[in-house]
Amino acid sequence: MRLIVGEGSCGLAAGAGAVHTRLQELLAEANPTGVELGITGCNGMCFLEPIVDLYDDEGALHRLVKVQAKDADKIYQAATTGDLSLVDGLRISAEDAEFLDKQTRIALRDCGIIDPESIEDYLAHGGYQAITKILTTGMSQEDVIHEIDVAGLRGRGGAGFPTAFKWRAARDAKPDETGQKYLICNADEGDPGAFMDRAVIEGDPHSLIEGMLIGAYSIGASEGIVYVRAEYPLAIIRLRKAIEDATARGYLGDNILGSDFSCTLRIKAGAGAFVCGEETALIESLEGKRGMPRLKPPFPAQAGYWLKPSNINNVETYANVAWIIVNGGAAYAAMGTENSKGTKVFALSGKIRRGGLVEVPMGTTLREVIFDIGGGIRDNKEFKAVQLGGPSGGCVPASKLDTIIDYAELSATGAIMGSGGMVVMDESTCMVGMARFFLDFTAKESCGKCVHCRLGTKRMLEILSRVVDGKGEEGDIEKLEELCYAIKDGALCGLGQTAPNPVLTTIRYFRDEFEAHIAEHRCPAGECRELITYYIDQDKCVGCTACARQCPVQAISGERKSPHKIDPTLCIKCGNCKTACRFGAVQVR
Amino acid sequence: MSIKYTIDGVEVIAEPSDTILTSATRAGIEIPTLCFDKRTAIYGACGVCLVEVEGVPKLLRACSARPQEGYVVHLHSERVDRARKTALELLLSDHTGDCRGPCKLNCPAMTDCQKYVGEIREGRYKDAVSTVYEAFPLPASIGRVCPHPCEDACRRKMVEEPISIAFLKAFAADKIEADGDPYVVQCEPDTGKRVAIIGGGPAGLTAAYFLRRYGHAVTIFDQQPKMGGMLRYGIPEYRLPKAVLDREIQIIADAGVEMVNGVKLGRDIQFDALRAEYDAVLLAMGAWRSMNMRVPGEDLAGVHGGIDFLERLGLGERPTLGERVAVCGGGNTAMDCCRTAVRLGAKEVYVVYRRTRAEMPAADIEIEEAEEEGVTFKFLTNPIEFYGEDGHVTGMKLQVMELGEPDASGRRRPVPVEGATEDIPVDDVLMAIGQGADCAGAVAEELLTQRGTIACDEMTFRTAFDNVFAAGDVTNRGAGIAIQAIAEAQKAALCINNFLEGDEVRAQVPYFVTQEKTPEDFEDEPKQKREKMPGLTPEERRDNFEPIYFGFTEEQAQREASRCLECGCHDYYDCRLIKFANRFNVEPERFAGEMHDREDVPVVSEVIVHDPDKCVLCGLCYRTCDQVVGKTFLGLYNRGFSTVVNPMVPEEARTFCASCLKCVEACPTGAMRSFPAVERVTQLV
Repeated sequence: MRLIVGEGSCGLAAGAGAVHTRLQELLAEANPTGVELGITGCNGMCFLEPIVDLYDDEGALHRLVKVQAKDADKIYQAATTGDLSLVDGLRISAEDAEFLDKQTRIALRDCGIIDPESIEDYLAHGGYQAITKILTTGMSQEDVIHEIDVAGLRGRGGAGFPTAFKWRAARDAKPDETGQKYLICNADEGDPGAFMDRAVIEGDPHSLIEGMLIGAYSIGASEGIVYVRAEYPLAIIRLRKAIEDATARGYLGDNILGSDFSCTLRIKAGAGAFVCGEETALIESLEGKRGMPRLKPPFPAQAGYWLKPSNINNVETYANVAWIIVNGGAAYAAMGTENSKGTKVFALSGKIRRGGLVEVPMGTTLREVIFDIGGGIRDNKEFKAVQLGGPSGGCVPASKLDTIIDYAELSATGAIMGSGGMVVMDESTCMVGMARFFLDFTAKESCGKCVHCRLGTKRMLEILSRVVDGKGEEGDIEKLEELCYAIKDGALCGLGQTAPNPVLTTIRYFRDEFEAHIAEHRCPAGECRELITYYIDQDKCVGCTACARQCPVQAISGERKSPHKIDPTLCIKCGNCKTACRFGAVQVR
Repeated sequence: MSIKYTIDGVEVIAEPSDTILTSATRAGIEIPTLCFDKRTAIYGACGVCLVEVEGVPKLLRACSARPQEGYVVHLHSERVDRARKTALELLLSDHTGDCRGPCKLNCPAMTDCQKYVGEIREGRYKDAVSTVYEAFPLPASIGRVCPHPCEDACRRKMVEEPISIAFLKAFAADKIEADGDPYVVQCEPDTGKRVAIIGGGPAGLTAAYFLRRYGHAVTIFDQQPKMGGMLRYGIPEYRLPKAVLDREIQIIADAGVEMVNGVKLGRDIQFDALRAEYDAVLLAMGAWRSMNMRVPGEDLAGVHGGIDFLERLGLGERPTLGERVAVCGGGNTAMDCCRTAVRLGAKEVYVVYRRTRAEMPAADIEIEEAEEEGVTFKFLTNPIEFYGEDGHVTGMKLQVMELGEPDASGRRRPVPVEGATEDIPVDDVLMAIGQGADCAGAVAEELLTQRGTIACDEMTFRTAFDNVFAAGDVTNRGAGIAIQAIAEAQKAALCINNFLEGDEVRAQVPYFVTQEKTPEDFEDEPKQKREKMPGLTPEERRDNFEPIYFGFTEEQAQREASRCLECGCHDYYDCRLIKFANRFNVEPERFAGEMHDREDVPVVSEVIVHDPDKCVLCGLCYRTCDQVVGKTFLGLYNRGFSTVVNPMVPEEARTFCASCLKCVEACPTGAMRSFPAVERVTQLV
């Protein structure tokens, strides 16, 4: 029997650490034979964490979910006695199991399966076969790039630029007399709601290392740098160990696998600026400067880190590479659409029933991802829209749910593929407030360098703020649109140029909500505090006093067992009463 | 290998190392930018250099984009102009300061008061006078009589009292005259165009002066024996010695302006003939008709129009008045009338005014001096009847008033107190309640308003006829103070010049960044009292028309000038932000929102300060320090809207800045400043 605890950041946050500790204590006390305890990364089912995978002696998997420390004894007993009925109450439901069954996992192929801290485990699952194949069968740089080209792999960080094109450009760039080129991994995953890169590094760090090695070989780089945001401490710890192990095993360092190819890897922890996910700002930051974008051209392939030819890809892109080399570019390209090949990882979050990481082939519809895999909307509410691509992306409304996942098709909706953030919103989400939320993010994260981004997003945020406060003015929508297009035209980098997308798409699909806020001072979703009033439905209220006890300002009055009332002049619209009411009597208008 | 491409149809040749901006600059084509300087690496912050290239979907930054063979670049497409305008508007939506001082902005003629006050402080009197002449001629005369809106706006009054801006102007003009170095008008070469000006008052003289400077042949026709208009015939000698006026009119005459007196339009010369004979005509006849009060007994002998009365004095008459004289009205003309009446020997002089002293339009100093000279003010009274014996006025009935609700002008409206009247015996009455123009019969009917003034466009000063313009009291705007007439004439002259040159006639309204200040902002300013103008005592002046002021001494003038707070931005003339703002007709109020008002002005070194509220974050200062000087003294702090340039080291460690001032020179606005101000060496592109 093997007990594998899912210990990605999500699992640990949900209590996997305590489960692990308890199991360890029990095992240490009795020291039973035939029971192993191990860890793995996140398998993507964040909504079921903590998860313990119990492999029986036949190797069959019994997945136990929402495990708490108190359940550890039961699991221990089941493992030691072989009586698995003891944990029947913890087994994943058939419905939830579909979450994984409907996916196709390439970038996440070993996440949640292997022990991320064990290079042996990675090797046992076919790890480092790709780089071995390249170095021992004499594949040239062009052979490798050709395979990536055939695969049709495009950058998974957001812009979707063909990876083979970038690699060729970096390979062909003439280095200076030092001959130095760099390969950089962008692991500064900053989009709110995106966490696939973290999952890869925490769950399968060697797949990133191997992908980077292949990239470094292809462009002729002897040094690789992983720029990881410092907010991912576990990822940094596991990646550091993986680099040490890979170096010890000869997969990193001089004359790798006896070849002429030498490459080292190191980690640079980012200091927490969203803009450092922009490749030129990331390079500035790597050089120790303030993270502000450079003008392109020159592109990093010509003059990147320390002005040497450099290639940058994000984590998910590199995580696909080894699979492509082992299985062939054609196998990868067999999945997906004409212009978008392979798979894409999405981070499902928001008002979704089953939130987590989902990897599907390109060409899958949004509806399949959200409803078939994600299980639809929580609490039986109506789907309203999904935000794709975080603050740089846009929202897609219900009418466009059959849009397929494809770079061009998603762009046509006004949203973008982006890095894969998928924030699902239901009927209770105010779209103006949503647009304001993302603008607030980009305005705060603007590096301050260019006028359009620094001041344009600030002015847009001010307009959106007054609209949600019910102080919008006629012409505000048009002014927003004008600023949106001006910023798209004038901003220096991707952060600024895409910042208007959430606003443009919400205006495009939910203009009526903007108009209701401005003309009628009404928030149709009932979310904007300044525009709503809480009241108690006198027919539904049973006088339980639960609401009155939760009210921080004593705005609710009423006799026990008779309907209560809210004094709107005292109410601060905190919503505590609505949460407290078990009869649906507290309502908003 | 060089690359050929076009910018707005002009062929440009670029080297491989060139950007669109550098190759355009070499070809003599200006592309506006705030953040580019060839000594530093390309930065791309300002977004002002955006250009459109055919076939390229995005706008390109000219500072960084490399031209390609056959590029068709547009600098002036609608999209480009809009993008630049938006960039500038966004910058200006968070740019706090005063492009120009409140003194200048409140002067109808936009005289650069701060500049000439500064020049006087430095003893550069000729420069000071030249500065005034950029706005209008007659500085010594106007300096004596102007009710000085500049001083009303002067922020020094938030410390104690405003700068004595008007008298300083007169001082400088008198000083260079006394030094034998009078101002000489420099004119452009003759254009061969001829302009006729009707009326030789402040408007006519000002227009003549400017049109002559533009190189046109100018003739002024005036009905009076001498030029000067209301300055000569409306303002008494004790306020404006006519010798001063003569001297300043001569400067204009010396510039080649032909002056013809004793000629009245409609009587001696005909409008149609003038229009035909001259390339352009400016009507500036003023408003010489005293308004009637429309009360019974107005036609009695002894009831005079105030302006008519002053005109007789100007013509050299010494009208005899009775012992008791009442002046009706509360403006400057009323003050001139009552004080003249005192000087002519009247024993009791009343000023009858229907509101209170606070509402009087006359200058405070005039009211004070009239009181000192013994004038009695009867506030909140309004004449409702004049009565007399043998056809001569002997008394007037006054309605007692009280103040009610504010009217359209914001002043509280006087309303009669029912049944409360008062009788005062009078021998003469001077009506000074307003003046009107009377052009009927002088010009074509279609030029007239219902009130008998000339109808002209407010922006072009053009009348119904293409080549006929109007300015000053004669226009539809009605009678005002001299500097208003002068301001109109200055703009009308520009419009006439544009018309004669075949350009668009309209006068531009420049954009300025302004800010509000409160007395709290000046709490730490050391107090220094306004210089007192030496002059005659009330006793010495009340029986004669001697000038009542002697003028400042040089020491006084310099002391007074040194009180100036220098509100207007020191870098106005070098500021590229304001230059582009006006070029692209910005409307930053469209994006009005939160503006920075940072209390702390970072001290960069002993001689350099940085005003973050004027900073456009072009980065030139810190990039110049780093890349040109080789130091890294300055840097950026914070993000987004809060981004700010600051020294990178704590104040106590700020010793390695050598105050080379390269950052000050590089700053495109007035954000980086040095003490004392250095001549800016603008080294761009």
